[in-house]
Amino acid sequence: MDLTGEFGARSGGGGMCRESTGLESLHLGDEFRPLVTLPPENAGGFTALLELPPTQAVELLHFTDSSSSQAAVTGIGGDIAPPLHSFGTLTFPSNPVLMERAARFSVIATEQQNGNVSGETTTSSSANPDRVKTEPADADSSQRLVSDQAAENQSPCPSQNNRSGKRKEFEKKARREKINARMKLLQELVPGCDKIQGTALVLDEIINHVQSLQRQVEMLSMRLAAVNPRIDFNLDTILASENGSLMDGSFNGTSMQLAWPHQVMETEQSYHHRQLQPPPPQQWTFDGLNQPVWEREEDQAHGNDHNSLMASSENLMVGSENLHPNQVKMEL
Amino acid sequence: MNTYNMVKQEFIKKWITTLHMLDSSVDHPTNVTERKNAIKLSSDLAIAAARSGATVWSRAIISRTGNKTTNKPVARRILKKARNRMKNRCTTVRRNGSLKAKIRMRKRTELLKSLVPGGESINNKDYLIRETLDYIVYLRAQVDVMRSVAAVDLVIGDLQNVPRNK
Repeated sequence: MDLTGEFGARSGGGGMCRESTGLESLHLGDEFRPLVTLPPENAGGFTALLELPPTQAVELLHFTDSSSSQAAVTGIGGDIAPPLHSFGTLTFPSNPVLMERAARFSVIATEQQNGNVSGETTTSSSANPDRVKTEPADADSSQRLVSDQAAENQSPCPSQNNRSGKRKEFEKKARREKINARMKLLQELVPGCDKIQGTALVLDEIINHVQSLQRQVEMLSMRLAAVNPRIDFNLDTILASENGSLMDGSFNGTSMQLAWPHQVMETEQSYHHRQLQPPPPQQWTFDGLNQPVWEREEDQAHGNDHNSLMASSENLMVGSENLHPNQVKMEL
Repeated sequence: MNTYNMVKQEFIKKWITTLHMLDSSVDHPTNVTERKNAIKLSSDLAIAAARSGATVWSRAIISRTGNKTTNKPVARRILKKARNRMKNRCTTVRRNGSLKAKIRMRKRTELLKSLVPGGESINNKDYLIRETLDYIVYLRAQVDVMRSVAAVDLVIGDLQNVPRNK
């Protein structure tokens, strides 16, 4: 079946690593193995990722997401870790933490947006101390940034300066420091950038990153279009229950939870076995359908999230295809 | 405090809205490419709307959509919020250094400007980098969400054996 094939192809890489752990029941055939090729290990950073065809790159991104975020892992994670060492150059370093910081940066800038430039820059630079690495030099520079920003605000246009010489130099220095601080943050955000010296190469990596993300969006929207006969696909259904579990970062894991009741019968046994292993809070590894997501549901402290999850799961178990729109709207 | 999750959540809400809007305002698309374009457009509008016009790239996406013919009502609704926020930033930064390095830097900067929506109008390198940073965060959120939706969609559809167009 074509869709099984596509699904298998995307999880073929996972199958390769985990065949020994009982994924045979998912019918991952040998024909999928050649689809997964390891990237050249000496190629650094994102450029290696980009050499691969998009589907494989996405798979690798799955792996890197999972491998980088599983700190102390047992069971499944242990199986993943050895084969993925060669992917080391492609990992997103400490993905959730970075995205958290970067997202906070954008959100803070949003919240305090007063529609004027100086407001924005003040806010973002005052938020800088949180984001820049906690080293004395950086802390000093960021504090200087704040004071510099305050100084800049007083006369935004250089042409208005009275003591033009000193102030221009002052501002130049401040600007350069700001740029450097942000470049550092960008460096952290874009994988593979920490080792690079020089702004130009960092810019290269950033450009590659943006390009690859945009390409992924293209590919994903093509995939979504291929799967759904209409534009307005049942996003509500899927996301109503996922919405609840977004808070604990297990966003993608919940999608597995939705799929859970529909698992093929013979695989349920192996899945139930895996429940006994404690699930690390992890990024999405779609090929790992054997993630013990049920346990996470028990561990959840959020009461209402739990209820909404259970409700939607039960709905799916009963076999109704779509949640009632009213219910969906409430949950949203 | 899961800010990234909030970003994703915001994106999801807006995406659902834009999908509905597009679905109602556009004729039923005939082939995969049109659907793909519609989905991509809806998700781009969604990240721009999630950013609610506070950044240059988000406003650029919205206004870029507004210029195209197919989605006037959709774009207009979102544009209303963002219309008053366009700003010109006219400060420039001069770099010292060798000529070749300058040229290389300029090339890269221009490339980055072409990638980030609305980047061409940003002259200050500092702002460009900030915009890029913001844009990357939202792009990542977009990719994460779309990826998981695609996965779920595939599995659910597969197991329900719904016939699909390819």
